[in-house]
Amino acid sequence: MTLTAPVAVLPEETAEPGPRRDRSAAWCAASLTVAGAAGAVALVAADRAAEWGRGRPFELFWLGMLVFTLPAAYWAGRRASTSRLRLAVVVGYACFTYLPKLLRNPTGPLYHDEFAHWRQSREILLDGRLFEANPIVRVVGDFPGLHAAVAAVSSLTGVSVWHAALAVLIGAHLLLVLGVAVLAQEIWRDSRTAAIAALAYGLNSSFLFFDTQFGYESLAITLWVWTLVALVRALRSPAKAPIAVLLIAATVVTHHLTALGLIATMLIIAVAVTVKRRDRVAVTAWALTLTAAILTTFWLLWVAPKTAGYLDPYLAKALDQFAGMFSDNGESGRTLFKQSIAPWWEQKTAFVAQVLALVAMIGAAVHLYRTRSRDPLALAMLLLGVCYFPAVLLILTPSGAEGARRSWAFSYLGIAMVVAPLAVRLLDRWAAKAGAALLTAFALVMVGNTAAGMNPSYRFPGPPVYGSDTRALIPEVAAAADWLRATQGRGLRIVADRYSGLIFGSFGGQDPVTGSVTFPTYDVYLTQPGRPVNPSLIGQLSAWRFGYLVVDRRMAREVPEIGIYFENNEPIPHNGRPGFTLGQLTKFDRTPWTIKIYDSGNIAIYRFDFASLTVPAIGGGK
Amino acid sequence: MTTPRILAAALATVGILALGNGWWLLPGLLVGLLALGELWLRALVAEAVAPVARIGLGAVSGLVSLPLVAITLHLLGVGLRGPQIAAGLAVLTVALGGVALLRERSGPVPDDPRFARTLAAIAVPVVVALVVGGAATMAYVRLPHPSQPGFTSVALGGWAAGIDRPVTFPRGGLDVPIRVSSTGEPAAVAQLRVRVGARPAGPARPVTVAADTTRSFAVHVPAPLTGCLHRIEISVGGASTVFYGRGPATC
Repeated sequence: MTLTAPVAVLPEETAEPGPRRDRSAAWCAASLTVAGAAGAVALVAADRAAEWGRGRPFELFWLGMLVFTLPAAYWAGRRASTSRLRLAVVVGYACFTYLPKLLRNPTGPLYHDEFAHWRQSREILLDGRLFEANPIVRVVGDFPGLHAAVAAVSSLTGVSVWHAALAVLIGAHLLLVLGVAVLAQEIWRDSRTAAIAALAYGLNSSFLFFDTQFGYESLAITLWVWTLVALVRALRSPAKAPIAVLLIAATVVTHHLTALGLIATMLIIAVAVTVKRRDRVAVTAWALTLTAAILTTFWLLWVAPKTAGYLDPYLAKALDQFAGMFSDNGESGRTLFKQSIAPWWEQKTAFVAQVLALVAMIGAAVHLYRTRSRDPLALAMLLLGVCYFPAVLLILTPSGAEGARRSWAFSYLGIAMVVAPLAVRLLDRWAAKAGAALLTAFALVMVGNTAAGMNPSYRFPGPPVYGSDTRALIPEVAAAADWLRATQGRGLRIVADRYSGLIFGSFGGQDPVTGSVTFPTYDVYLTQPGRPVNPSLIGQLSAWRFGYLVVDRRMAREVPEIGIYFENNEPIPHNGRPGFTLGQLTKFDRTPWTIKIYDSGNIAIYRFDFASLTVPAIGGGK
Repeated sequence: MTTPRILAAALATVGILALGNGWWLLPGLLVGLLALGELWLRALVAEAVAPVARIGLGAVSGLVSLPLVAITLHLLGVGLRGPQIAAGLAVLTVALGGVALLRERSGPVPDDPRFARTLAAIAVPVVVALVVGGAATMAYVRLPHPSQPGFTSVALGGWAAGIDRPVTFPRGGLDVPIRVSSTGEPAAVAQLRVRVGARPAGPARPVTVAADTTRSFAVHVPAPLTGCLHRIEISVGGASTVFYGRGPATC
């Protein structure tokens, strides 16, 4: 393909059925329907095995995934399949790959960021306003693309926020896979390559569980792919540029990192186009890249100025830890799969998947060179795919791991785009052997990347675990949050730990603060019984009209699974023992400035009465 | 399909959305957004686009219309409610339809004969997946799950839930409403205790806490002996509420 290809409608049929009636479509539909049903049953069985703590959830999960995806890959890569059949297979693949996340939490938010987005959408429904501050993820409110869409669907149809979110997210997931296929079709002009590229993109570690969550990146990544589709079309015909501008703007208002990723991707394309050609195509590429940069800059400076301060600590800390790994013999790094309950074969496969990706990329580069592809878009995709490998190093640092995982959803597009034509070439040359080898590699990479991308607690249900982002929610916390909202109203400023704060800030509709370096509310909990709380902190709490304190007594009995009680920089030792004594948490029962209005054993809610701070009480402390 | 027909379909869908309410409107909303997305394409890209790309770009453009309308309403100071969003979508539909019709004065883009079959190639697997995936999800939700840990809670109720400073007791004491709730635990008999200051206000008395019920009742708390600040604790089993109060006498 070249950028000077004619603008005419592209032929989508590559293998029209011959005079004999072709029953492959019926066979494909029947086999994939049966496989999909069997896969769904196995996925349900996996989740049930995990939640009841018996059976083999990992094996059942992968049985369910592979029983559908391998036949789908076969039908997509089969030479005789028509383009429409491949399209149907790709759509089925997109739908099926949303099922693991749907089964993980079908009835409400579960992952950390999902609570923030659920709250933001609900607040829009209740108050009718955008850009409201979010106490769980403080920049979420400044990027209203997802919440506005979810709130609009909810208010137009009357379905709940969660069901509206599912409708938007399933649609976005389907459009993501479809977008990758269309982008590959635009670049390679071959429906077989396009279908394989779409399936290959689905192997990235964020695909099954991260970019399917109720989070702004789940919608933004779809907008990113379709913006690239619009960009490629605009390079051929500048008259199509306005639709690219619309999608750039939509990406910018939806997610900060994706907007930055879009600029980076467009820069790569613009540079590649400029290197290969210096005509109006390059001008269009640079003009659209500049548009993306201007819109993003405007949004970050004038609408979402908090974003830089939100992202900066992660990047700075990751780079510090990365540098520190060389000076302290790796002590500041992290050990992959440390204390993971993932089976050994998943852990090993996670490393194998990276090796396979590297081998595939080298093969793709050689293939591009040998076929003398001069297409700047192919070169750009190769460069984008190469970015995957430096990010793998960041996974070794605690603060960089999150960013590394997020970057893979971008760079894997490059890998999928350039590896797909190589796979087609191999299938054309050694159909049977290459088919078996590619299906094996497909399975290994899917297992390995998923294992590398998400902890088992994100993938499977299980018993409540204190300090887990996905299993800390117990009915007791939700009941306390419900009681506070029902009796005291919503929008109250409360002091809480990370896990209580999630529930009180979302279902409870309150405004929790979970501590920071400049507002160390965790000092309230850390103060020893009989000792006064830092007066300046009390002054801050009083001045900012904080009215309630939530205490989770499990902090004195259990160690949080993810090693955080309040926030990343908390001054609390994590040495395998609880960071608090029971006395530190029950001291509020005897301080006149904390009135205990609710108690359920683990959870207690106190109302602040700062006026009684220094008054002695008979039967109480000071 | 001609632009006036798409415009009519989009406006009709938006009208239904503005009037109705229910999950069955979701497919209607999908049709409306697809029609709106098609209008975006006809207004901005008056050229032939391959069917798959056309459907995808149309769907994405229709989807982003929702935040676009929401942000515009926000900038205009209009609250985001269903009727207002529907009105915003209607205005956007008319605007895009108008631009598309103006563009088509120089000749409409011909329909692609492959469009319907391509749309079917997308719609059929989606419907099958919704049936299979929906059945699997509903089955999973309805199957029994391990029971969650139970708990019993005690909270100040009625006027007492609003206590935000030391309570001044009358000479005869106060009846303090409390709310006892049990979830996921078997019925039990718990000891109700009241402490005023450092001493119990009387003997403990048994209270039945039925399984999975919420019960409110008043607990009589005698006045503290002096006007000094006293700690007052009402406990049911292991859970308690604590507030502070002063008696009518001088401290």
